[in-house]
Amino acid sequence: MVAKGDLLLEMNGVQKRFGGAVALRGTDLKIRAGEIHALLGENGAGKSTMLKILSGVHINDGGTIKLGGKDFITGSPQASIDQGVAVIYQEPSLFLDLSLAENVFIGRQPKKGVAIDWKFAQSEAARLFKELGVELDPKRQARGLSIADQQVVEIAKALSMNANIILMDEPTAALSASEVERLMTVMKSLKAANKAVIFVSHRLDEVFAISDFITVMRDGATVSENPVGKTDLQKVIKEMVGRELTELFPKTENKIGAVVLEVKDLTNPAYFRNVSFNVKKGEIVALAGLVGSGRSEVARAIFGVDKYESGSVSLNGKALPAGSPVEAMNRKIALVPEDRRQQGLFMVAGVNRNISMESFDRLTDRGLINFKRERSLTNTWKEKLSIKFANQADPVDRLSGGNQQKTVLAKWLATDPDLLIVDEPTRGIDVATKAEVHRLVNQAASEGKAVLMISSELPEVLGMADRIIVMREGRQVAELSRKEATQEKIIAAATTGKRSA
Amino acid sequence: MSKFAKLGSVRRSWDTAIIGLLLLVWVFASLTTSNFLTPLNFSYIFSNTSEIMIIAFAMLFMIILGEIDLSVASILALGSSMLGWSYAKGAPIWVSILICILVGTACGFINGFLVTKLGLGSLAVTIGTLALYRGIANGLLGENTVNEFPEFWTSFGFDTIGKSFMPKTLPLIIIFGILFGLLLHKTPFGRRTLAIGQSPEAAKFAGVNVIRHKMIVFTFTGFMSGVAGVIYTFRFSTAQADNGVGLELLVISAILLGGVSIFGGIGTMWGVVAGVLLAGSVESWLTLQEINAQWRTIVTGILLLISVAAPVLVQKGKARRELKALKS
Amino acid sequence: MLNMNLLKKLRPSSRESSLFIILIVAVGGTGLINPRFLTGDGTRDLLTSTSVVALLAIGIAPIVVMRHIDLSIASTVGLSAWTVADFCAKNPSFTWVQCFVIGSIIGLAVGIVNGLLVAGLRLPSLVVTLGTLYIVRGLVYVVSNSVDYNAQEMPESLLALGQKVYFGLLPFTFLMVIIAMILMALFMKYTKSGRDAYAIGSNPPAADLVGLKVFRRTFLAFVFSGVMAGIAGVFYLMRFAQVDSTAFYGQELAVVAAVVIGGVTIMGGSGTVVGAVIGALLVQTIQGGLAALGVDAFWKAAINGLLLIIAIYADRVLAVRNEKQLLAQRIRERI
Repeated sequence: MVAKGDLLLEMNGVQKRFGGAVALRGTDLKIRAGEIHALLGENGAGKSTMLKILSGVHINDGGTIKLGGKDFITGSPQASIDQGVAVIYQEPSLFLDLSLAENVFIGRQPKKGVAIDWKFAQSEAARLFKELGVELDPKRQARGLSIADQQVVEIAKALSMNANIILMDEPTAALSASEVERLMTVMKSLKAANKAVIFVSHRLDEVFAISDFITVMRDGATVSENPVGKTDLQKVIKEMVGRELTELFPKTENKIGAVVLEVKDLTNPAYFRNVSFNVKKGEIVALAGLVGSGRSEVARAIFGVDKYESGSVSLNGKALPAGSPVEAMNRKIALVPEDRRQQGLFMVAGVNRNISMESFDRLTDRGLINFKRERSLTNTWKEKLSIKFANQADPVDRLSGGNQQKTVLAKWLATDPDLLIVDEPTRGIDVATKAEVHRLVNQAASEGKAVLMISSELPEVLGMADRIIVMREGRQVAELSRKEATQEKIIAAATTGKRSA
Repeated sequence: MSKFAKLGSVRRSWDTAIIGLLLLVWVFASLTTSNFLTPLNFSYIFSNTSEIMIIAFAMLFMIILGEIDLSVASILALGSSMLGWSYAKGAPIWVSILICILVGTACGFINGFLVTKLGLGSLAVTIGTLALYRGIANGLLGENTVNEFPEFWTSFGFDTIGKSFMPKTLPLIIIFGILFGLLLHKTPFGRRTLAIGQSPEAAKFAGVNVIRHKMIVFTFTGFMSGVAGVIYTFRFSTAQADNGVGLELLVISAILLGGVSIFGGIGTMWGVVAGVLLAGSVESWLTLQEINAQWRTIVTGILLLISVAAPVLVQKGKARRELKALKS
Repeated sequence: MLNMNLLKKLRPSSRESSLFIILIVAVGGTGLINPRFLTGDGTRDLLTSTSVVALLAIGIAPIVVMRHIDLSIASTVGLSAWTVADFCAKNPSFTWVQCFVIGSIIGLAVGIVNGLLVAGLRLPSLVVTLGTLYIVRGLVYVVSNSVDYNAQEMPESLLALGQKVYFGLLPFTFLMVIIAMILMALFMKYTKSGRDAYAIGSNPPAADLVGLKVFRRTFLAFVFSGVMAGIAGVFYLMRFAQVDSTAFYGQELAVVAAVVIGGVTIMGGSGTVVGAVIGALLVQTIQGGLAALGVDAFWKAAINGLLLIIAIYADRVLAVRNEKQLLAQRIRERI
């Protein structure tokens, strides 16, 4: 039996490399029983890698991990569970057709004789739910459960497996305010039961409201580790940001012209409300905010992939009909989506086929595609964007992430859009290509295109944008000009909704 | 996704391999039977596969989209029954032919409506319409058959052009083959078909109207089944409710044999033509060898299993070799 | 006889109850048109004619729950029926016992092949069983060589069993169906294997993730379906007392329709064996009712198809309503 305050987990100088990239360069972490421990850091600071080592997905290259004084065995999810470490993901994958009790005990159903003892399973599940302070009916189906309640089921499952350490990866990202409160109650009851909770969150107000300890990570290393009483919001933000902005992104000053995109009171109640802004010719406007704050959904609504309930979108002064990507394309809007593998590209198709996808108007003679012109189109963009591939027909799946992203950009730039929307344009690509993508986006703006950029990377936002609109939980909470914007201000607005000084 | 891509590269080589395999079968068959490689026999092969070929041209698009239409043979039968029924009731033959094709098109449209507008799974729905359309044909004609047709049309069904060995239906099939081949490989429509099959989500983001696209493919699959109904009726000079029972399976196995992925997104016209001819040639060889006609059903089944298992087995073997290479 | 406690434990869900009510209404309605339908004779006819499809429905219900399908069953019925008859014709000493053993072995063999291909190679079950549908039917053609068998070649004990009726209305074959249904319903509800089937069909990637024995469960489900089809072949002989190479040709879709109408969704994860049997009864009753109304038997297939489409549509409507409620709930919580 563990007592409150016992040291459960100790990580010292943990390192992890992926090929040439260093993800963790020496991370320390101490977790005690009966404590809620927040893990903070910007994207790429190494939080996820650390969680993945603990959950058994990755094996650390260096450093030591001790669990209850013994060496912790990494590299197998099952081993992690056996050692009492459980992970709760942002979006749990339950069996929606099965009852909650069944989901808790799937694969380990209690038996009486040859048959499953449903009474016992149900009462056990009910007991666990009660312990967590959320009284769900163990007999009900998982289908129709909110994400918050699904997380509760996962936590109950973890408890039923006697987990002592519960890792939560951005558990609140997809939750509403009332759901967050409920999750906090659950976390408190876990704490009361002497479990250790490690959670990653970008919502700093929540972090300060619930955690006992805060560890801040930056660039793969631990920066600070403090009891919550010994630190404050400003300090934590400084520690997360840490460095001065390097001039990775040479910003060109463009002549800003007439309004191209005008969004008024755009509302889709499930994701965002009353969003209003405009983007002018030659201007780059950034939509900043946390993942799940409704940024991508706004972009999707503008492009017409999703419908919206009320409000309006107009382009060059004329209203744009809702819910029609075809119309949006005719009106010269381009959207480089968030997830290039699922949304941006046809992975098994050749590079040429991906690049030509939106340019058939110019490639067809009497309805038939002219392959020669398709090849020359591909070559043109290959050179313009210096995309690297051996053969035009190579499936894009074989390209590196950076070249894939350039292919998506090429496909849309080839349509010569008036409005270019880029959603997380540099996610998961190497530094050199990143700079190139930034150059391309800048160049598009200098050619007189209006650019709407969504990004979670603050340096990118600050380096590129003429104006920054910050969203939080589906609402616009701040609009900052290039001059007044700082990392601290954006983080403060995105995480607490308040404009700080 | 990457597994899908790997399967893709196997698939691509598979559809060229199938052409090689077809030639191999021809060589083997002509070595083992003296009258295989004759114009007359090839005339039979083309003639016997004409409905399968016609429907396969459209079904190719369907399977590339990641959908399936199991009702095609029933559409053929319903069209054929309507043709015979209306002709027997005194309609001019060209009206009856038109009815057959229109009924087919309407059936395809209904399938498309059920799948795209009501959001039902195509597999389950077309199992339903398979029974429904065939059932309507049954209700219409019962056990009756109509087999008195104008000679001009029955001769179109089974005669050859002049003194050559080319069936009269062959030019029609070739024209359709070229049209659908161009549609798949040379037009934006074809590109979008492949795109939807590879990733419906990405297709949506690329501005493809997925619902309308599927609607069109379902409708022209019905149309082609109607056309096949006309050919079938005249080729056998019979309109009856159980025309073409089980033909849907022959069509699907020929398509899969031609290297089209059952998971969608991959497929070529030449692969499908080779697949249909391969199945037809094997059957012809069995006939010439005087192997019991009953064996053909078995051979069809085995070909279907091979066509779906082979790419997976090839992929597995490749992965194993790579793993070995990695270990050593 | 039937243990009431056991029945209670099966606790039919609302879906099965409403299906049962529809069934009662259908039976009642048919009875109004044709009073004979409600007599002992009528009930016995209904149950006898449903036995084969109902047994097959019990066989494929677990497969459909696992998001798979088995289209080879009708061919297996044909192969089993013909082979059993053939053995009996050549061995006059055979009784019903040997019949069931031979039938089961044939079904077992087909099931093993399907199971290995689907579970072992992870090939799509639709295509695989389409292939075996052909191969097995082809085998019937080849081995039968156009030979048919009639009542005089079949064991008397088997035919007698086929005629046997309990309480004046429950035929032996349907009693077997009820027993199989109860055992299977208990199995699906109270064993790990049964629950795993629901989990696998509900969320296949998650089933792999939590370490369920996906291969073993899938394989055994196909073997079970094969054996049921083998036994159904013997039921076929008991009912018709004759067999040729086209026996039960094309009836796989009628079984799929029965199962789906009985509330086993084609997308997997839900539905019960009890529902599947009620679905089979419902299809048969509606057919009977329409026949009583004077609708020609030739329309039978069309009605089957229509029923299937209606069942899928009803399913879809329920799912969409569910989604809408979820969205509304989400919006409420956001405010």
